[in-house]
Amino acid sequence: MSEKVIVIGGGHNGLTAAATLARHGRSVVLLEKRSGLGGLAAPFEIADGYRVPGLLHDTDRFRPAVARALELHQHGLQWRETPRTELGLSAKGRGVLLSSNREAMAQELQQHSPSDVQPYHRLMTFLDSIRHIVEDLFDSPPPAPAKRELGEAIKMLKKGWAFRRLGAETMIEVLRIAPMCIADWLNEHFESAHLKALLASPALLGTWMGPWSAGSTTTWLLDELTRGRAVAGGPAALVDSLRRCAEAAGVEIRTGCPVRHLQLENGRVRGVELESGETIETASVLATTDAQTTFLELIRPADLGVEFAERIANVRSRGLVAKVHLALSGPLENTTRPGSFERMRTGEHVDDLERAFDAVKYRQISERPILDVWVPSLEDSSLAPKGHHVVSILAQFAPYDLEGGWTDAARVTLGDRVVDTLAEYAPGLKKRIVARQVLSPADLEGELGLTGGHLYHGEHALDQLAFLRPVFDCAHYRTPIEGLIVGGSSCHPGGGLTGVPGWLAAKAL
Amino acid sequence: MSRHSPFHERTAALCTSYRWKEWAGYHAVCSYDTSVEREYFAFRHAAGLLDASPLIKYDVRGPDAAAYLSRLSVRRIDKLAVGRVVYCCWVDDRGHVIDDGTIARLDEDAYRVTTGEPELWWLEQNRRGYDVSVEETTHRYGVLALQGPSSGAILSAVTGTDLTGLRYFGLTSARLADRDVLVSRTGYTGDLGYEVWVEAEHALPVWDTLMTEGRAYGIVPAGLDALDVTRIEAGYLLLGIDYKSAPRCLIDAQKSSPYEIGLGWMVQLDREPFIGQAALRAEKERGSEWALVGLDVSWTALEALYERHGLPPSLATHAWRTAAPLYDGKRQIGQATSGTWSPTLKRNLALATVRRGYDRVGTRIEIETTVEYRRHTIPATVVDRPFFDPERRRS
Repeated sequence: MSEKVIVIGGGHNGLTAAATLARHGRSVVLLEKRSGLGGLAAPFEIADGYRVPGLLHDTDRFRPAVARALELHQHGLQWRETPRTELGLSAKGRGVLLSSNREAMAQELQQHSPSDVQPYHRLMTFLDSIRHIVEDLFDSPPPAPAKRELGEAIKMLKKGWAFRRLGAETMIEVLRIAPMCIADWLNEHFESAHLKALLASPALLGTWMGPWSAGSTTTWLLDELTRGRAVAGGPAALVDSLRRCAEAAGVEIRTGCPVRHLQLENGRVRGVELESGETIETASVLATTDAQTTFLELIRPADLGVEFAERIANVRSRGLVAKVHLALSGPLENTTRPGSFERMRTGEHVDDLERAFDAVKYRQISERPILDVWVPSLEDSSLAPKGHHVVSILAQFAPYDLEGGWTDAARVTLGDRVVDTLAEYAPGLKKRIVARQVLSPADLEGELGLTGGHLYHGEHALDQLAFLRPVFDCAHYRTPIEGLIVGGSSCHPGGGLTGVPGWLAAKAL
Repeated sequence: MSRHSPFHERTAALCTSYRWKEWAGYHAVCSYDTSVEREYFAFRHAAGLLDASPLIKYDVRGPDAAAYLSRLSVRRIDKLAVGRVVYCCWVDDRGHVIDDGTIARLDEDAYRVTTGEPELWWLEQNRRGYDVSVEETTHRYGVLALQGPSSGAILSAVTGTDLTGLRYFGLTSARLADRDVLVSRTGYTGDLGYEVWVEAEHALPVWDTLMTEGRAYGIVPAGLDALDVTRIEAGYLLLGIDYKSAPRCLIDAQKSSPYEIGLGWMVQLDREPFIGQAALRAEKERGSEWALVGLDVSWTALEALYERHGLPPSLATHAWRTAAPLYDGKRQIGQATSGTWSPTLKRNLALATVRRGYDRVGTRIEIETTVEYRRHTIPATVVDRPFFDPERRRS
């Protein structure tokens, strides 16, 4: 088992996979196209002296099971002990300060909307009762309902039994809500429109859904139930510890090393050809690139089955989130509530979210985008010159296939709309902008090789999750090509900084 | 609503029998006369002129056309020289035949593909990653099949070029009735024969010239019924009758591999990857379950059977295509899918699919025959295909 494994992609999944394999005694070479590691978790420079520590914001979905398996604490990983808070920005009132601390949340609701306190507790109790089921699904390979193997049948029975043991009432509730839209479900619980909008919006990241889209409750549950503590220092710190872990385990890391294609012989992996012309012989490749890149670009069409290629091409991967980065000459002050907040979010009503989503159906940029705002320089002042700050914004929605294409003018329009929207809650904002960077889904595709500029390597949707992700015949990390394993966000359990696809794929090898 | 072929004005005027059928969305003549004999014997003894315009055509162009078609086909296309045509079949991932037809190399980067059924979806689906364009050109060209021993002489006369030197499966441009045409030495009759390809708007003068100049050589307009008799004599398959197109099958049992329909000879396994390669390699190693054979159905047994009923022997005057079960004793071992009385060979012929083990020449089996609404079986013998194969077909 000592032959060489090539891991393609140096994002969090690639690093996790490489480290896992190396710690199991495999000789591993990791190839990253860009000059630095981390992918969506890598630091990104906005302007000279200003950078953000990652394109994605949340590290609180990185799975403790992966961190434990790789002993990342020995490689510098530190969890943040403070609860995660997020201010829901409001033009008129005090907004809502969401908190992962339940007492703080209850107190906040007591102030904001007293009738929502009890429903909040009830919802949390319900989530607690099903959390272990979702976590178990999340941390293990997806079930394989089509496989005729005793071991698989037993695994399915175990999962089914655990599900049944929730009790009839909870089980039926899960089955009832899974295909629902998040807006309907939250309406059953809460009164405060602002609270519902804030709770609903994380369900939309990485999907092609508005809050009234069927199935958004499932994406909401997956997001909500897999959150834990965040990593101190954000995505960049996570990548650092993964890199150290991989290096300590002996992984040979080669950056600036784009792969041209995989060399195959009789349906088996034989080697990897780099853009430089160099070839590396190997019988095992673990690719963490997205499914379409892996199968339709890195593999020559002749080497792939027709039906399989067609299914891969049909995986929906329409990016609709843009990144806007701001470098500010001072803090980002808001009118909603005094003080500095590391995380803020716009959207005071579910209708605001839906209206923003409507635009992408017609290939337009939302008039008033929904913003997920992060000021990482509050935690790490080294990201900007003294007294200055950086703001990282995930702006929804901006379609990959924008009508008229992503011209410079379109980028300016997007940037203006984002800044205008934020400035409604932060009147001093515009004067403080030193630099502004707009990354459309098309830019994200170009910069990071994400098909469709999709941050999650393919949309989260009921038909693109678990054993259907990315398609059923490679949902268990093995692919129709012998020696090729896939382990990026295109695979179960999907996108976001979780480390799980890479980890499970490495274990499958 | 069926379309009219570019020759419709002429064929309609001649079709006094009013016997038409639908072919790929076009009106096509079954036979101009009420019986098939005159047209059949023109194919075998002089020249029959068949309007084959409904033949489905795709023009494939682009720098990757050769690689693309090679990947699609069970045989290499990249080695095909300009001015050559090849008979070929196409399979899916699991090695099941989708269609069969010809590929002609018109130019360095241009090919013309003909298929039995519309396959644009499949050609388009597999274009990903190849710099090629695929365009359906069925309606753009009129095609005339001029088949029979005097076809070469007629064509040479009307084009003013000696076409007798055009090799079997060769393709050349020529002038006919002052129009540019392509002439290929291809056909579906198993005889000496050519196909003339002309742009639709120039179709009628080409027909007229062939008919006028061909009179001295005994040219006869012929329909699909006569063609069907000749193609069975030649042992050629008909999609939808002798085998079924895999994507159009409802169950796997209806699908066939090239090995199972007698096209194994064209499969070239050891080369760059092509669609179905792994499945076909595995089948070749494993051996196929079915085989396509030619049958000679006993005339004496048939005569005797009719006699038992007090009847003279009776056979349809044209080819049949209602499948008949085949038996080895009580065990059903396959089916005959089409057949005909061969007026030239004076034999009762059929194309059949049989289980492995029954495909050796000389194997005696039984075929179901119905006389006076009663089912019987009569003996049939596996014989070589093609049943009829004159020197002049290839020479």
